[in-house]
Amino acid sequence: MTPEQLIRQQQRVMEVVNASFRARQDIDRALRDIDRRALNAMVLVKKHGNALAGYGVVAQAFRERAALLRESASHLQENIAPLIEAQMRILQQQRLLQNFEQMTQSHGEALHGRCVGLKNTRQDFQKIITQEREDARRILRLLLEEVRILQEGVEEQEYVVTNGRIEAALVEGSGVPLMRVSRDMGEAVRIVARAVRDYRQQLERLQNESY
Amino acid sequence: MKATKVFEARDHRWWILYDQEESRVIDSNVYVMESQGQAFLLDPGGFEIFPQVFAALVEAVPPASIQGAFVSHQDPDIASSLPLWHACNPKIQWHIPALWEGFIRHYGALEAPLQDIPDAGGNILIGGRRLEFIPAHYLHSSANFHVYDPEAKVLFSGDVGAALLPPGHGAWVDRRDADGKAFAAHIEKARYFHQRWMPSNRAKNDWIERVSKLEIDYLCPQHGAIYSGPQVQRFLDWFAALPVGSGIA
Repeated sequence: MTPEQLIRQQQRVMEVVNASFRARQDIDRALRDIDRRALNAMVLVKKHGNALAGYGVVAQAFRERAALLRESASHLQENIAPLIEAQMRILQQQRLLQNFEQMTQSHGEALHGRCVGLKNTRQDFQKIITQEREDARRILRLLLEEVRILQEGVEEQEYVVTNGRIEAALVEGSGVPLMRVSRDMGEAVRIVARAVRDYRQQLERLQNESY
Repeated sequence: MKATKVFEARDHRWWILYDQEESRVIDSNVYVMESQGQAFLLDPGGFEIFPQVFAALVEAVPPASIQGAFVSHQDPDIASSLPLWHACNPKIQWHIPALWEGFIRHYGALEAPLQDIPDAGGNILIGGRRLEFIPAHYLHSSANFHVYDPEAKVLFSGDVGAALLPPGHGAWVDRRDADGKAFAAHIEKARYFHQRWMPSNRAKNDWIERVSKLEIDYLCPQHGAIYSGPQVQRFLDWFAALPVGSGIA
């Protein structure tokens, strides 16, 4: 890898790290919002008895789906820290290897002939970097799989929102602002969907460019 | 490593990253002060633990928010990770004791932006909040600083207050410590560290006199656990009574 490729890869890793932080914050906030809105909708429905029972089923499903999304998001988190750690271990080893490269540049390859230990150590560092890269690739694949599962959950939640809109339209005359409730729920789900999609794009870029 | 909040008031936070997984190097704490979305690292740790410190940091703040970092003294457990941080974020401004600049660059940080702290100390603004660099020379290094946050009442005390704790330790000296038993048990793990690493009783007394004038709710050492509330005064009293410099028999 050339020094320019190294710098580019490092920048890409940092973009992913910062994106991870933003995605986690956005997803956490939006999932809390979804849960709160679903709970409010259920309270609203309870106040009006059987008249809004259909919407009550939707609100309950919405809340249950939100809990599943939170569960999926927590798995996502479990893999972010190991990925960052693996990437930083690569940086660490590359730094050590860089010292050896600089030494070779200033003294020429003949140095390895005079000092066998140096050559072996350099090869050891290269071996460690290869292993760490393989480890990072494996974690990245896991993480992308978790993101895919989370995206599926969001799509199901979008389906529940659509059902909510239909139920709200059916009881529009009741005087209860269910259309607005549904709209707000839809907006919260859209925020999660956007955050997860952006995050997936960052991860895929890292996967495509790094290896 | 784990990340946990030490202090929080609106957009002003202190974090500790603690309990490292690598036991072949001395266990170290790393602190982060965050104000209005800007972050400041305190004693960012050694080369060997950098990957886990960095991963834990991302639990607390986005790395892009780090504006500056503080190095209390020249030791490798404090600053040997500097070139790795610099590689991740070259914009970080490093605040280091002036006396140690030429030494710290030996860690492989020829290009890093180092800002010298004069012997008398100084101030810095992070996210609109002032941090004070408090002189702590000879505790234990000959040019050594601590950091005080007057709003949060946090004193980052470097090696002062340090304790050698086993893996799995907590971030705090037990805070439900009405009778002082938890403090008494903890301080035995700090005794040898202070007796042997701290060289000067005169420097110790000078420091105690200076920090006794500060309002401190949290005394945060770079090794061990945080002293809070009444434990802070207990620690200062204990340290005042402890003869140091035991290497000279």
